[in-house]
Amino acid sequence: MSVIQVQQVSKSFENTHAVKNVSFDIPKGSIYGILGPNGAGKTTTIRMINYITIPDTGQILINGRKASAQTQREIGYLPEERGLYKKMKVGEQLMYLAQLKGMRKEEARNSIKGWLDRFDATGWIGKEVGELSKGMQQKVQFISTVAHNPDIYIFDEPFSGLDPINSELLRDVILELKSEGKTILFSTHRMEQVEQMCDFICLYRNGENVLNGNLTSIKQSFGKNTIILEFDGDHSFLSGMQDVRFNNKSNRSVEIIPDAGVNPQDLLVYAASHVTVNRFELIYPSLQEIFIQTVKQHVS
Amino acid sequence: MDTSKFLLIFKREYITRVRTKAFILSTILAPMGLLILIVVPIILSSVQTEQRQVIGIQDETQTVLIRLLEQNPDRYQPLPPVSADSLRSMVLSGSVDGFIIITEEHITGNRSPELFYTGTGGLSLVSEIRGDLRAALQNERLDRAEVGETVRNILAMRTSLQTRVLTDTGEQENDTMSLFFVGYIMFFIIYAAMFGYGAVIMRSVIEEKSSRIIEVITSSVRPFELLMGKVMGVGALGLTQFAIWSVAGAGLLALAAPIAVLLGGTAEVGTDLNTAAAQADLPFTMPSIGAEVWITFILFFLAGYLIYSSLYAAVGSAVDAESDANQLMIPLMIPIMLPLLFIGNVASDPNSTFSVITSLVPFFAPMLMPMRVAMTPVPFWEIALGLLLCIITFTAIIWVSARIYRVGILMYGKKASFGELFRWVRYN
Repeated sequence: MSVIQVQQVSKSFENTHAVKNVSFDIPKGSIYGILGPNGAGKTTTIRMINYITIPDTGQILINGRKASAQTQREIGYLPEERGLYKKMKVGEQLMYLAQLKGMRKEEARNSIKGWLDRFDATGWIGKEVGELSKGMQQKVQFISTVAHNPDIYIFDEPFSGLDPINSELLRDVILELKSEGKTILFSTHRMEQVEQMCDFICLYRNGENVLNGNLTSIKQSFGKNTIILEFDGDHSFLSGMQDVRFNNKSNRSVEIIPDAGVNPQDLLVYAASHVTVNRFELIYPSLQEIFIQTVKQHVS
Repeated sequence: MDTSKFLLIFKREYITRVRTKAFILSTILAPMGLLILIVVPIILSSVQTEQRQVIGIQDETQTVLIRLLEQNPDRYQPLPPVSADSLRSMVLSGSVDGFIIITEEHITGNRSPELFYTGTGGLSLVSEIRGDLRAALQNERLDRAEVGETVRNILAMRTSLQTRVLTDTGEQENDTMSLFFVGYIMFFIIYAAMFGYGAVIMRSVIEEKSSRIIEVITSSVRPFELLMGKVMGVGALGLTQFAIWSVAGAGLLALAAPIAVLLGGTAEVGTDLNTAAAQADLPFTMPSIGAEVWITFILFFLAGYLIYSSLYAAVGSAVDAESDANQLMIPLMIPIMLPLLFIGNVASDPNSTFSVITSLVPFFAPMLMPMRVAMTPVPFWEIALGLLLCIITFTAIIWVSARIYRVGILMYGKKASFGELFRWVRYN
């Protein structure tokens, strides 16, 4: 069953066509990644799902109902640009935001207390947000997103600006929420995070959804056309390879994408004649490679 | 509109502000500021200026100077019978501050005396000398005409005009001056409130925008609920401030009588305020302000507040920082400031066609109508019409502002022009 359905949605501002006829479904209990460069229309789509703005055409369904003030309660939203009232105390602020999501006072208090305990943050209740360090503020912001215990979580660039400890904490919580059957949508332009966590993805480019679906099947549809090569020796031999592209080139390893018609075995022979080959493996393409190819396809 | 969310926002806007030092300080300092603006000039004008200008009198009649010295011995000084040129040089060298040559003609004829002086001392010096001379010359003429005591007494009599206002409930003695005074104060309180509370709203909108919490909030509530909660919350703050001032003011007035009694020493307990004020020698009597004045004041304050605060909110939503707001503020400040140009006309005749019309214009009514009501009886239909026009105006303005606000709060980066604001109104 689809928790979020985006159906032929378009949205324009002044002179920009921010989202063009986009459709996708997010199945219940999945982690769904929206990918794309900055300005591709990710945040505009997320705002429409949150009923912050309204599509010009098309519609968005949340649990089968049209997005509205009511469906806002079912969503917890962590915007890319974080923000809290600096002069308000942590406890009051979290209570206020949870109540705005329709929570009753008693419920809100228990939930907030639980999350503060979990993040070792109980001592901050009486402090103004402005007095906290950046890392602490991020924790408070995160609690404000999840405290009302929604079914759907939307994280816009959740890892940007997080220190490693908070990143790890956030990753754990996201996986835990998934195991509780919650649905998570997150938007990012960092491919490796999506690759690690997402079940489904959709790719944005200039306001269009150029590719979407199950991450594994998308990869399979591209075939095992990528070579992982690890080696010891001088990497300058790589410049002698014809009709290939490289990703993630380093001193000891490289991803090679051969053009159609190139035999990988020839590449192995060529590499072995210059350096010691430690690993040579045909794999499914990385998300980054898929993204580059898809975007290229749409240009031509 | 979701009432429970509106109430949450209203409560937050109100409570977080009412607890701030800024609120407590402004509640204490504003009336003190007003008091200083009123009281200090009164005190200063009653204090005699220390510097005395000495005016030399060359008296060819031998009678006028004596009379002048009787009236004001420190002011005048006899001058030797020297030429006008040497008198001039005495003034320029500073041995006297000015001189007047008084001749027989000034008593018998219609020629007026001339004062030659350095130009210092201002208007009060000239009018003081004029008064002294007028009295001295008049008395001299009366003596020469051998006018009797009766006629002198008649000439000395002064007639003042007492005013009594007739109403349906009876007649009532009214001190017109103090009513005008009340009208002026009401005008300036509302005038200051439009700027002050408007700025509070604008700053609060900009703060939510620049701290980026706006996106979190709008993922929970509709922008209209947020705008209304904010406007009403700050409005309630304003009413709280007025309530505190009214209670404190009433308390002070209640204390004023016994204090005046203490100062005056003679009056019996229970004397009314005006007698007490008279005994305390205040420059005006305490005006009794009718309930209708207070009610008009509160209603028009609210109407004006609703008109201007939602406009300030719209301006705040269209900019990223307070410093960018100036250009958009201009069309907002003009209607607030224009009534300043009208108060002279309205005060001199609160019932003229000009006064009636300007006090009905919705953008001016919040300031001018309470002022008129304080100064003069205003027909009920005028107050009702003024209020109705205000209500229609703020309904329309809140609608337009809310539409600008809803788009503006999510727009970052560029400064919006008026054309863009206009287009935002038409977005869906």
